[in-house]
Amino acid sequence: MVVRGVKKLWTLWVFMLMGAVACSDSDPSTEEPIDDFDRSEILVNWADNIIIPNYQDYVESLTDLKAAITTFGQTSSADLLADVREAWLEAYLDWQRVSMFEIGKAESVSLRNFTNIYPADIQKIDENINTGSYNLELPSTNDEQGFPALDYLLYGKADTDEGTVAILSTPAHKEYLQQLVERLHNLASEVLNHWTSGYRDTFVANNGSSATSSLNKLANDFMFYYEKSLRAGKVGIPAGVFSTSRLPEKVEARFSGKSKLLFLESLDAVQDFFNGTGSSNTGKSFAHYLDYLNTIKEGEDLSALINSQLNLARQKAEMLNSDFAAQIDDNNVSMLETYDELQKVVVLLKVDMFQALSIQVDFVDADGD
Amino acid sequence: MKGLRRLYGLGLLTVILTVAACSDSDDTLPTVEAPATYTFERNGQSTVSFSGQTTRIQMATELVSAMKDFDNSTEALLLEMFRNETANGGDANPFSNADLNASTKSVRSKTGASKDYFFTNATEAAQIKADFEGWISAQVSEVFPAENQIATPGNPGQLADGSSTRYVNGKGLEYDQAVNKGLIGALMLDQMLNNYLSVSVLDEADNRANNDNEVLVEGKMYTTMEHKWDEAYGYLFGTAANAADPVATIGSSDAFLNKYLGRVEGDPDFAGIAQEVYDALKLGRAAIVAGEYEVRDAQAAIVRQKLSEVIAIRAIYYLQQGKNALAQDPPAYGTAFHDLSEGFGFLYSLRFTRQPQGDMPYFTKAEVDGFIQAVYGSTNGFWDVDATTLDNVSGQIAAKFDFTVAQAGN
Repeated sequence: MVVRGVKKLWTLWVFMLMGAVACSDSDPSTEEPIDDFDRSEILVNWADNIIIPNYQDYVESLTDLKAAITTFGQTSSADLLADVREAWLEAYLDWQRVSMFEIGKAESVSLRNFTNIYPADIQKIDENINTGSYNLELPSTNDEQGFPALDYLLYGKADTDEGTVAILSTPAHKEYLQQLVERLHNLASEVLNHWTSGYRDTFVANNGSSATSSLNKLANDFMFYYEKSLRAGKVGIPAGVFSTSRLPEKVEARFSGKSKLLFLESLDAVQDFFNGTGSSNTGKSFAHYLDYLNTIKEGEDLSALINSQLNLARQKAEMLNSDFAAQIDDNNVSMLETYDELQKVVVLLKVDMFQALSIQVDFVDADGD
Repeated sequence: MKGLRRLYGLGLLTVILTVAACSDSDDTLPTVEAPATYTFERNGQSTVSFSGQTTRIQMATELVSAMKDFDNSTEALLLEMFRNETANGGDANPFSNADLNASTKSVRSKTGASKDYFFTNATEAAQIKADFEGWISAQVSEVFPAENQIATPGNPGQLADGSSTRYVNGKGLEYDQAVNKGLIGALMLDQMLNNYLSVSVLDEADNRANNDNEVLVEGKMYTTMEHKWDEAYGYLFGTAANAADPVATIGSSDAFLNKYLGRVEGDPDFAGIAQEVYDALKLGRAAIVAGEYEVRDAQAAIVRQKLSEVIAIRAIYYLQQGKNALAQDPPAYGTAFHDLSEGFGFLYSLRFTRQPQGDMPYFTKAEVDGFIQAVYGSTNGFWDVDATTLDNVSGQIAAKFDFTVAQAGN
């Protein structure tokens, strides 16, 4: 009983504290909206100048890849294999420019999970090819398809081009290649069509500042992508930041060794999105919003800080081996230094920018159990 | 502001005075000095032993992991892992760790088996064991055949949870999570709080006299009472890298009670709880050595309250996380059902909680059954549950404790 009494008193005291806070503040509940920046301008620029054109490029390069694989299926040769590889790389690079937009249809079909989960499960892929029995729509098969599966088939089956052609020209392999590219193409087309047949307007019209507004949601998707896919997936995980040892086998595109190229494209895409830069011109984005808030609040120049930090990260990355796995084996310190520069951007974006724009982070680190 | 400041002062002063007053009048317990770490020796040899608990945690770990091994596990194998014997009672070797195969212990024999709760309640004890065996069997008979199907209401199969894949039954439940989180209550918590920390076990027969006179168990360095207390300790810290000083690695030593004490510790609202539990276990053990049984029982009361809170906090946490995932557009069913499956196991574990005073759980079996019925009981289980129900159950749990749903839920 005595203990209970004490608890009540503590509670009383806490209430008094709360009262004091309420008094000292003017009245937080009636605080004015933070600004009158027109968020629609950003949404229009994102949709029309960046997202839709990037998806159009991506679908187009998948169409080319599909054609190259079909041709290779008819007459397999080392030259035609080179065409397939080239088209694959082109599409993989274009993918880096849409991967962060996991919103709308892309979110509901789990586009990223079915497109670029690596490392690929190569045993399962071989098993699928051998048995011919698989269903690529199952979530559990997300590491048996997409670009990493193609990376394995195009670069990981044999040491020589002739050897690769010999293996890939068997009917079972040709069939699997075809299934892989068709699935990529179907998913991407579905997402693009959704954008161009109504979703663009829905997206632009949702121009408020609530947690479910387009800007807040896509800001979170952008942040999630930067943290999980770019910083952790492409650099941190293989460099062993999250494990007791280095995991070079977990780099993106491990069989072709194209990890650096893909990473740099992804970093460019992030920075372009931040600055509102599309293929043809530059419109409004986070950078302008921050500049606007800066002029009314006289804070530090956050957009410049973010850009220069992204540039620093890029400079570090440009020094790395074109194959991150080789870099990790050879001198992992440079990988870790790149990671550190990328990590500094996380703080600038997720803490400083989100705070400035009054955006709540809507995801937490998954606890993995 | 000045007036306010004075009020603060008054509030603080009152609190300090009251605390002082109550600790003065109430706290007549003798002083026992706890050692720096959970290290106790007699004639230079350690008296601490909990290898049986370590073994059972390891067995449970293999069982839970094997429940998701679609390619190699059979119903017979999984049940052997639970029972450590064959279906007709013969010696079984189901584990990959040979030491576990050689052991005569099993998970099943200590599941729903505490002296205080089940000594005269064989009916419920049998029902609990049957629940676990039912979940294990159903994993093989319902979920395994549906490995390569997408789950839909009424039909088992797989669902995406981010880039992970979850395998659920027709009502959205992951049986492996039910077993994993259910064992935290039915095995670890029940054995600790309702068996080894209980007066009925610690003071059984002539334990007190033997402890006072340092009459040791034959061939061992410890008294029976010391050992019983250590066995409680082992269910929480038995797989810690440094079991004598385990707080530094809290949360990373197993996938059961240790892990979730660590998770609660990681929530700023509850930081410090791991140290409190450890300190109480350490002081209680020192009190046994000193023969100060009131001090011992006061520490048992602290452990009972804190570890019961861990179960309640995690139950609420997962119900709230599940609610949030269902609120997404479109609902993230895979994520939600994974959370709710963990929540299901923690709800089930509530029945094994223990109030610090008396011999009652925080929630009766009927109350717990009611929670599970509300969340999971409709025709399609988790596919049907709504936010109101999840909030309602969360609120009923939090009402028994000094924390809010919001504090537990994030």
